[in-house]
Amino acid sequence: MAELLGSSSVRSGRASFCLRVVGFVLLLVFAAAASASRDISNGTSKEPNPAREEDPHHRSNTTHHKKAFPVLSFNYEHVRTPFEISLWILLALLMKLGFHIIPRLSHVVPESCLLIFVGLLVGGIIKAIGEKPPILDSTLFFLYLLPPIILDAGYFLPIRPFTENLGTILVFAVVGTLWNAFFIGGMMYAVCQIEGTGLGGVDLLSCLLFGAIISAVDPVAVLAMFEEIHINELLHILVFGESLLNDAVTVVLYHLFEEFAHIGTVTVADAFLGVVCFFVVSLGGILVGAIYGILGAFTSRFTSHTRVIEPLFVFLYSYMAYLSAEVFHLSGIMSLIACGVMMRPYVEANISHKSYTTIKYFLKMWSSVSETLIFIFLGVSTVAGPHSWNWTFVVLTVILCFVSRMLGVVGLTYIINKFRIVKLTKKEQFIVAYGGLRGAIAFSLGFLLTNDKMKDMFLTAIITVIFFTVFVQGMTIKPLVDLLAVKKKKESKRSINEEIHTQFLDHLLTGIEDVCGHYGHHHWKDKLNRFNKAYVKKWLIAGERSTEPQLISFYNKLEMKQAIMLVESGSAAKLPSTLRKLPSCRIIPRISKGREEEIRKLLRANLQKTRQRLRSYSRHDLMIDPFEDNMSEVRFRKQRVEMERRVCFHLDSDSNFCERMRCRNRVNFRIRVRNTLLIPEGKLFKFSREEDIIR
Amino acid sequence: MKISPAHIIRLYDRFEFLDKEGSGQLRLEDFAEVKELAMNPIGDRIIGAFFSPGQETVDFPSFVRILAHFRPTDKNRAKDSTQPEPVNSRTSKLKFAFQLYDQDRDGKISRAELLQVLREMLGMQVTEEQLESIADRAIQEADLDRDDAISFEEFRKSLEKVNIEHKMSIRFLR
Repeated sequence: MAELLGSSSVRSGRASFCLRVVGFVLLLVFAAAASASRDISNGTSKEPNPAREEDPHHRSNTTHHKKAFPVLSFNYEHVRTPFEISLWILLALLMKLGFHIIPRLSHVVPESCLLIFVGLLVGGIIKAIGEKPPILDSTLFFLYLLPPIILDAGYFLPIRPFTENLGTILVFAVVGTLWNAFFIGGMMYAVCQIEGTGLGGVDLLSCLLFGAIISAVDPVAVLAMFEEIHINELLHILVFGESLLNDAVTVVLYHLFEEFAHIGTVTVADAFLGVVCFFVVSLGGILVGAIYGILGAFTSRFTSHTRVIEPLFVFLYSYMAYLSAEVFHLSGIMSLIACGVMMRPYVEANISHKSYTTIKYFLKMWSSVSETLIFIFLGVSTVAGPHSWNWTFVVLTVILCFVSRMLGVVGLTYIINKFRIVKLTKKEQFIVAYGGLRGAIAFSLGFLLTNDKMKDMFLTAIITVIFFTVFVQGMTIKPLVDLLAVKKKKESKRSINEEIHTQFLDHLLTGIEDVCGHYGHHHWKDKLNRFNKAYVKKWLIAGERSTEPQLISFYNKLEMKQAIMLVESGSAAKLPSTLRKLPSCRIIPRISKGREEEIRKLLRANLQKTRQRLRSYSRHDLMIDPFEDNMSEVRFRKQRVEMERRVCFHLDSDSNFCERMRCRNRVNFRIRVRNTLLIPEGKLFKFSREEDIIR
Repeated sequence: MKISPAHIIRLYDRFEFLDKEGSGQLRLEDFAEVKELAMNPIGDRIIGAFFSPGQETVDFPSFVRILAHFRPTDKNRAKDSTQPEPVNSRTSKLKFAFQLYDQDRDGKISRAELLQVLREMLGMQVTEEQLESIADRAIQEADLDRDDAISFEEFRKSLEKVNIEHKMSIRFLR
């Protein structure tokens, strides 16, 4: 009884502590937001600053009245902009942190909803104070907040499922978005023509423009939501791929309708030009991205002496690809994806393991920050923006979005299933339709519209749709997925068996297609691989790794990962590939503590010397390591452990057969370790000292 | 879902094209004519799969029977245990692939057989040591009953995450 009470009080104590922390953080948020917003809204006017800055100078220069030397002075203007930006980001991240501390909240409500809610609160507070809350500026969004998320998605895009389902994804992205845009636009126009709604002023082109803005599925929202529900790979790649590829359609439709909304009429020639524009935008975007990707891969070939800046090349080339595409009004998102996909296999073959980790973590970090900021800003902008609420328009928009999405997906799947090998079931169709979230891209596009009376109404409707999809659909999709028993993602690492058999099956299917005389999927993939191996890899991958077969690099990566894991876990367990050689008896002899200490000292002294020769802390000396720091570290620890064991056994006077066997196998094992952790060329990395120690 | 007559005609056209002598049977040389198969690392095994043990020629029904393994699976087929397993089910596809590994047909993929496959796939680019390490690791991972070979069940288990119905199907043969 007492324990129960005690535990419950501890739990409630912890909960109240959490609440207190969160409350404190919230207070900080509001305070800073208030000051920040005041400064942001006044920030554009720079005139008072120079004047204020002149005074201290002036004052200090005059010698008429001698003032005491200011030990401590306050000069906020100097650092205002970076300070505020950092403060916003910091508080956004603290909020994110806070959500995960509160125990039950993150299971029930998806993070995006919570962040929007916080944004609403902050916006409300700012408004209550009397200041004007900052709005999600479109330039800020499209140039700074969106690219990291898209690059993260594109760089780590799972290529195999993406290319296998490319046809389906393209149909959903292009045809589906077009259907959505025209259906919503058309129906809105039809309703607007009805008397009594007070919407007579909205003409067809404006409606179509609105339809184009609201029709596209948003990658940010989809990513944020799907990450939490761990759905199976097929559905994930379908919805996500669609959200990425529909950018081209959105760009074309938006510009098309925006141009013509003012002129008022669209001719057939314009429609034809629109179609041509679509191909130019999408293919052009991909081409720009591919060029930058190849440049990036080529650059990474020469970075073996300057490992520290390798990640920067990846980021900068990708960002340049995005910006270059935006210059020509091509699809920036597709350019970014193409750049990441193109660059990745070659860059990963060239860069060091540490750079790879750096790239991975930086991308994840930036995209996480961007996502958080986007959702918070969405909430703040909702409170801030001028609203014009029209019940008919808004409710109709929400209903139409939902209906058109459902109809579109079901209709398209019916057609697609005739061509798919593995058909989409009704459950999967439902999830694909339900997962079509709208997000910040729609809002920013709406914000870019020119100012007329329509804009406020549109913005209100867009925000309502975003809220509906993110809150209602976002919160209910997880229980629905569980209810419908949709297949979840299988959490597992790829085994070497899978890799071998998958490659084998690839060859088999290519062969069977050749026998049938059918130039199918496998045939072209095989041709592409051959071309890649024969020409491209030679140019883009440094050194001898260009001829390394994929299976070998996969195997090496696997072994290295496992070795690092084993060492980190502190156990001296063997690698699986050597396990079979060792017998199962495990008797550990005892020797006196004093003797053990002596041995340890001896070993440490010897091993220490070799280690010092390799250790290098200077940034410029990284090239001294012939290969990764990790490898030598792993080797050392392994060998040290093995050495200690071995010497211990040898010192024991009655070494039985088992131990002798084990020692011999230890030597074999060490040779095996050396072999399995090889660099692909097959060269042995020789420590001259190492031989002495073993002997 | 039966194979349609149009597909059979298409396959027969292909059969006739491959059969240079017009004898109504395919021989090894006819298969070797297909250029791409010569470049395929496991081309010989694939060709060998068409010929039943002891036979020197392949007639059209056998040709179709082998290719029928690669028809898309019918997911909605009722699981009727009295009927024999259709030739394009997941199990049959896996069995076909397994037999390509297991050349001596003893029901297990031994270490030597696996090494042979790896040697064919990776060719001259790797050392023997590396091949052995990979083979060791592969067997160690998959071998659950510790007999140093991969049986069909273990093979099936190691591929449970791969979408075999998608991977081993050709749209052409629907």
